[in-house]
Order: sequence, then structure tokens, then C-alpha cells
Amino acid sequence: MTTTITKTVTKICLPLVILFSISLLLAGHNNPGGGFIGGVMFASVIALTYVVFGLDYIKSFFDPDWGKWFAFGLILASLTAFAAIPFGHNFFRSAVEFVHLPFFGEVELVSAGLFDIGVYFVVIGSLLFIFKNVGDDE
Amino acid sequence: MDSFTAITLAVFLPFILAGILPVVEKLLKNRIGWYAAAVAFLSLVLVAQVAPTVIHGESIQGSITWIPSLGIDLSFYGDGLSVMFGIIVSTIGIIIMSYSNGYMSKREDLPRYYQQLLFFMGSMLGMVFSANLIQLFIFWELTSITSFMLIGYWRNRPMSVYGATKSLLITATGGLFMLAGFLVLHAITGTFDIPTILHSESMIEFIKGHELFLLALILIFIGAASKSAQGPFYVWLPNAMEAPTPVSAFLHSATMVKAGIYLVARIHPIFSGTDAWFILVSGVGIITMIMAGFLAFRQTDIKGILAYSTISQLAYLMTMYGYTTLHHPGIGVAAATFHLLNHATFKASLFLVAGIVAHETATRDITKMGGLRKEMPITFILATIGALAMAGIPPLNGFLSKEMFYEASYEMGHLLGGPFTYLIPALAVLGGVLTFAYSIKLIDGIFLGKRPSHGLPEHIHDPGWTMIVPTAFLAVLIILFGLVPSIPSHYIVQPAVESILLEPVDLHVQLWHGFTPALMMTIATFILGILIYTRYDSIAAWQNRFNSRHPMLSVNYLYDATVNNAKNVTFGFSSRMQPGNIKTYVIALLLLMIALFMIPVVFLTADIIPSTLNFDIPLYEGILFLFMIIAGLGAALLPRYVPAIISLSGLGYLVSLLFIYLSAPDLALTQILVETLSTIIFLLAIVKIPQKFREHVTPAVLTRDLLIASAVALTVFVLLINATQGIVAFESLSHYFIENSLPLAGGHNIVNVIIVDFRGYDTLGEISVLCLAAFGVYNLIHSRGEEE
Repeated sequence: MTTTITKTVTKICLPLVILFSISLLLAGHNNPGGGFIGGVMFASVIALTYVVFGLDYIKSFFDPDWGKWFAFGLILASLTAFAAIPFGHNFFRSAVEFVHLPFFGEVELVSAGLFDIGVYFVVIGSLLFIFKNVGDDE
Repeated sequence: MDSFTAITLAVFLPFILAGILPVVEKLLKNRIGWYAAAVAFLSLVLVAQVAPTVIHGESIQGSITWIPSLGIDLSFYGDGLSVMFGIIVSTIGIIIMSYSNGYMSKREDLPRYYQQLLFFMGSMLGMVFSANLIQLFIFWELTSITSFMLIGYWRNRPMSVYGATKSLLITATGGLFMLAGFLVLHAITGTFDIPTILHSESMIEFIKGHELFLLALILIFIGAASKSAQGPFYVWLPNAMEAPTPVSAFLHSATMVKAGIYLVARIHPIFSGTDAWFILVSGVGIITMIMAGFLAFRQTDIKGILAYSTISQLAYLMTMYGYTTLHHPGIGVAAATFHLLNHATFKASLFLVAGIVAHETATRDITKMGGLRKEMPITFILATIGALAMAGIPPLNGFLSKEMFYEASYEMGHLLGGPFTYLIPALAVLGGVLTFAYSIKLIDGIFLGKRPSHGLPEHIHDPGWTMIVPTAFLAVLIILFGLVPSIPSHYIVQPAVESILLEPVDLHVQLWHGFTPALMMTIATFILGILIYTRYDSIAAWQNRFNSRHPMLSVNYLYDATVNNAKNVTFGFSSRMQPGNIKTYVIALLLLMIALFMIPVVFLTADIIPSTLNFDIPLYEGILFLFMIIAGLGAALLPRYVPAIISLSGLGYLVSLLFIYLSAPDLALTQILVETLSTIIFLLAIVKIPQKFREHVTPAVLTRDLLIASAVALTVFVLLINATQGIVAFESLSHYFIENSLPLAGGHNIVNVIIVDFRGYDTLGEISVLCLAAFGVYNLIHSRGEEE
């Protein structure tokens, strides 16, 4: 797996795939995609770099605590679920708002999107947490 | 602030303020004990705010809707009894938490300790102010749980764990009996609301005449007896002494064990005045009082002596609350309620003294002590005050309530007549004699006599003021209540008695009230007590001989045998259920799946394979299916792990290709990504396990596996055919989502809208499971390393 070809391809792919995963996350409400798929894609490409360059080598300069990622995601998702309550709505009530931004044109802001971002972080965090622990295991 | 708000805050503030304790610890470091004491003080102030209303004979009530469908509200009820308990709990709470500052070492896990103490205090306050039986049960069990945690505070000591488990098993099981009793009461009355029952004379009459009366009484009393360590349930309390001493003083002498007494007092108006009440409550009380007093002699641990004395003293209270006849329903109520208050003061002070002694001498064995009066003069004085109050020496408060106990026993005996005229007073005196003897033993054994030549540290001294002042405060209360009994009796005891008897009471407690039969009984107690004390050691020795000769004749033996048998049985059961062989689990799951799907299909469907099937498959899809079959066979038949896994993931990619043909890009994308990631993780895990893939399989096993696999394939086939083309059992749900996803949630991607919006709660659950799975994997990997 550690041939020059895979290494080169991985280097090129990494930023593209991450961008694609973010676009999947944001586009999810209306087009194929969403937090889950985006998260799995992000996790896959990081896993790929782990495999291609070696876990120890990657860890020497890039070693986030994936546990924090899924904790953050879970908190974010729970908060959006509760966010409607102070406004007198039911648990999990979502809000939709269309905003006109100068550069992007008409943008749809959905509170469910925040929930989806929570899902995204949970998926990335827990998958890579598992991946790193399995990979680290002697 | 109105009274209802005050009570609600008094109950919930300890919980909330305990929650932020870890943050407070950052500021105060190891002085958080004072913070905890301040919280207790706050609760006391809030409870005291309610007191004036209650002293005037009124009660407070209020509720917040909680579970309306079950008729259960979060509701509080404050009367004299609740306020008296509230004051005892919060006052002793202040004392204990201040004392703990000196007792607990700075190296201990202080936030956990104080947090649990505050949780306990909140639960206890919630329990006594509950207006609702279900709510009372919940707070009741919360006190059991916090007690469990506090007894097991030193988690790595086996005896702590044993004591904690024992207390939880006994008190929580008793609590379940109590809950059953509440449900029976609900079946009779149709309400869980305590004041509704208490304030309706017709309802009480109805309960007393009901055929379920005895059942309700017995079930509720089992709860009360297990909590207050009465009858055979006493065994948990001596083992609970493994807790830190301030905890023992707080929970296991002054407050939590009195929850059972509280319950008995609370249900007194409903059940008393019947033979069953007297026989059950007083009967169990008298037997426990004498047995526990007697068994205290054998104890060499000073906390052990105090534990047995607590059981015996609680039995006094039970006995007195049990004194009843049809026309005189509450003979011992005033005496019991006053003794309850006094016992909280002198027993807590004795426990605190025991804590001081153990802290300074590093032992709790009374046989190793003696002659400490010279080295610890202040402690000696405080201990003497506490022990003499317990023994019932005038002018201390214990004397007053013991006189009242004798008076009530005398009256009860005379009202019953016959052999009871002398039997009940005689038994009461016997209880008093035993109490007198072990109280004297505490002073004599620890402080008087000669200092043993070895076994004690060289320099023993009184502790610092953080431990002295709280204890001294209790000692002052003991003397004050003894000399000026009108203060506690008028402001605390009388309202409580009124709320138990449900009528105005004029309570007069005096030190001297002439040569009454009660005074004669007291004098007899002192004389007999001194006589018995001269034989103290030989009685203890006889008990030890008896125990070693008949080891099976004890409740503890029964408890241990039951628990061990339960452990063995459940271990055998679970090792049969979970043999650890994955193949067994998979077979069980698959067989269940086949049964669940095939039975309804076979019985309910006319033609299992619909006749309208369309087998017109385009050529490129046919080729795809062919490849899928090859990949599947490869995964099953290839001889090594890595090729088999690659083949399996090839199958997954082919499936995602099929999804693209069926125009489901979402599914295809997900399938590809999941397949990629799972293959990588699979490979990572697989390189670390032995590469011996093919185990030897006998033809019989192979046939069985093939049969199961074919049956599963057939099931899935039938299921899919029926789901897509056959009979539709239910209308498809998708129409709803297709129609509503844009107008209600503003999204075109229905799958995503379902996940994040319509079924958002499910998703939240799923991502929580994902996090738990991550922790599970982490634990599996890391705990395996430790076992090797």
C-alpha cells in the first residue's frame, strides 16, 4: 500500500475529498449527501492516509483527539434538539429561514442543518476513534 | 417567598449546588466541606421559614404537574412531622459536613464525598416533604442509593463493598415491598396523594374495613423495617459501619435509618388503632429492641456497639409508635417523637466521638483502649454527655424521653390488661437495662481504667476545633433539651405529634413529675443496669461461644448463603447463555429471524411467491448479478483471510453499482463509503489475529450450517419478493414523507430530511449509540491488555 503511486494519489485526493465531504454535508438537505455520508467520507480519507503513510508517521504531526470530536458533535446535536424549547416549541422542532447573502445568492438556513453538522462530527469522531484504537493496538 | 417555593428549593438546591461542586473545588481546594455545610445551612433556613406556619397547626401543600396521565404530580406537603425531620436532617447535615473538614484527609476524593452527602440530604428532604406516595418511593430509593455509594466510599476495601451491597440489597428490596404496599393502598383508595387520604376520615375508615388492609400494612411495614434495620433486616446496619464515620453518624444513626420510622409515623393515622398495627409494629419493635441490645455486648468495635445500639433505639421508636388500642390510637406517639429528636442528638454526638477516637488512636477496637480521659479530656466530657443521655441519666434529654417511654409502656400494659399489664413494662425495662449497660461500657472501655501498655500510639490528644465544635454543639443541645424541655417540645415535637394524631395536643415535658410508676421503672433500670454491667464481659464471652457453636443460627448466615447461591445460579445461567462462541450467537439470531419472518408469511399468505413476478432482467444487470454470486462464493470459499475479505468488499461495491442502476445515488454513495471503511478496519484487525482460517469442520456441522444458510437465503428472498411485489400488509409510509418533506422541513432530499428532522430523535439515539460503540471498542482493546 505504500507505493509512490498511492502516496501521490492520496496527497492529491486528501484535500479534494475533505472539500467534497463538506459539500456533501452542506448540500445534504436538498441533494444527495448529508452529515452521515459526509462524515464517513471524511473518516475514510483520513483512514486512507493513516494506512498509506503509517499511523505513527501521521500521528507525529497530526494527532487530534477524536474522542473530543464526537463529544462535540453529540453536544451540538443535543443542543439543537433542545433549542426549540425556550421559544415555546416542541422538542426537535426545526426552523427554516432563507437569507440573501451578497456572494452566494439565496441561501437556505435550516436549524436541522446544525443537527446534521453534529451528526457529521459524531460519525467522524467515533469512526476514527475506533480506527485509531484498533490500529494502535499492539 | 411562599412556603411551597421554600420547600421545593430546600429539596432541590442540595442537588443543584452539589452538581457544581467540582467547579467550586477549583476555587476552594480542600475546603469544600465548608461549602457543603453552607448548602446544608441554606436548606435549614428554607425549612425553618416554613416552621412558623406549621407550629400554628397548619400544613403546606403545593404541586407541579409531572405525569398527569398517571395522576402523579411533583407535590410537596409540609406538616409538623415533615418539618421536624427537615430540621433534623439539615441541622445534622451542617454538623456532619463541618466535622468532615477535620475528619476526611486532604488526599481523599472530597468532591465525590460531599457530592454524595448533599445528594443524600436532598433525597432525604424530598422524602419527608413528599405529598405523593410514588414520589416518596423515588426519594426513598434515592436515599438507599446514596447510602450505598457512601458505605462503599472506600471502593477498594472488600468489606466496604460487601457492606454497601448488603445495605442496598436489603433496603432497596424492602423499598420494592413498600411500593407494592403503596399500590395496594392505591387500589383501595384510588389516590397516591398522602394529604387526601390523611384528611378524609371516611377514607381512613374505609381503608381499615377493607379486606386488603392487612396486606397493605404488611407490605409497607416491610419497607419501613428494612430501612430502619428492624427485625431480621437489621443485618445490613452493622456492616454499613464500613462507611467513613461522619457518614455513619449522618445516615446510619441520625437520619436515613429513621426514614422507616418516618414512614411508620406518616401512615400512623391510617393504620393505627387496630390489633394488626400493635402486633406488627410493637411486636417487631420489642423483639428487635431486646435482641439488638443484647447483641451489642459482643461487639468490640466501638462503631459496632453504636450500630447495635442504633438498631435497639430505633426499635424503641417502633415499639412506641406501635402502642395502640381501638380507643387510644396514639399512646406512645408523643414519647416516640420526642425520643426520635433526642436520639438524633445523642447518637450523632456519640458517633462523632467514635470518629475522633478512631482518628486519634488509629483503632476502633475497644479492647485495645482504656484510660484515655487524661489525654483527651474534652472528648471524654463530650462522650460522657452523649453516653449518659443514651443511658437515660437525668438531667439529660435521654432521661426525659425514656421516662415517657416507660410511661407509655405502663399505660399500654394496663390498657391491655391480663398478662400484658406487667409483661410490656418489664420488657421495656429490660430494653432500658441493656441500653444502660452498653452505654456505660462505652465510657468505661474507652476513657476509664488503665491505659493498655501497647497497641495505642504514644501521643494521643484532643483533635482540632473543626471536630470538637460540631460535637460540642450536639452536647450542648443534649443538655439544653434536658434542662429546658419546653423549647423542643413546644416548637418541634408538639406540631409533629399533632400532625400524626391529627388533633391538637398539649404536650408538657418536665424533668420532675413525682413518684410515678415510670420513675420506679427508671430506678429499677439503673440498679439492674449496674448489676448486669458487672457481668458484661462474661455475657459477651457466652455470646461468642454460642456463635461459634451454632454458626448457622444467624441471619447473616442466611443472607450470605442466599447471595452466594444467587451468584452461583446466575453465573451458571449466564455462562450457558453466553458461551463466548460467536457461531452459537449467530445461529440463534438467524434461527429467530427465520422464525419471525417465515411463520407469519407461511400462515397468512396464500401464495408465498406471487404469480405476478417479472423476471425480465436486462443483460447488464444479469452480468452484475453473476459477478455478485461469484464474489459471494469467493468470500465463503477462499482459503485465507485477506482474499476472502477483499472478495466480500467486492460484493459490497457490486451492490452499490446495483444501487446506481436502480437510481438511488444516496444509497450507492453510502454503500461505497461504508464498504471502504469497514474493509480497512477489517483488514487492520485481521492482520493481528492468528491466520489459521479453516478450522476442521465435521460433515454434520457443515450440513447444519448449509441448511441454516439456505434457510436464511430463502427467508430473505421471500421477504423481498413480498415486500416489493406481493401482498402489502401496511400502506407504505413513504407517501407521507414525499408529500411533506418540502412544506414541513424545507428540504428536497427526503432521506436526509427524515434523518435530521422527522426522525431526528431516532438519529440522536443512533449517534449516541455510535459514541458508546466507540467507547466499547476502546474498552475492549484496553481491558484485554490488562488481563494478560
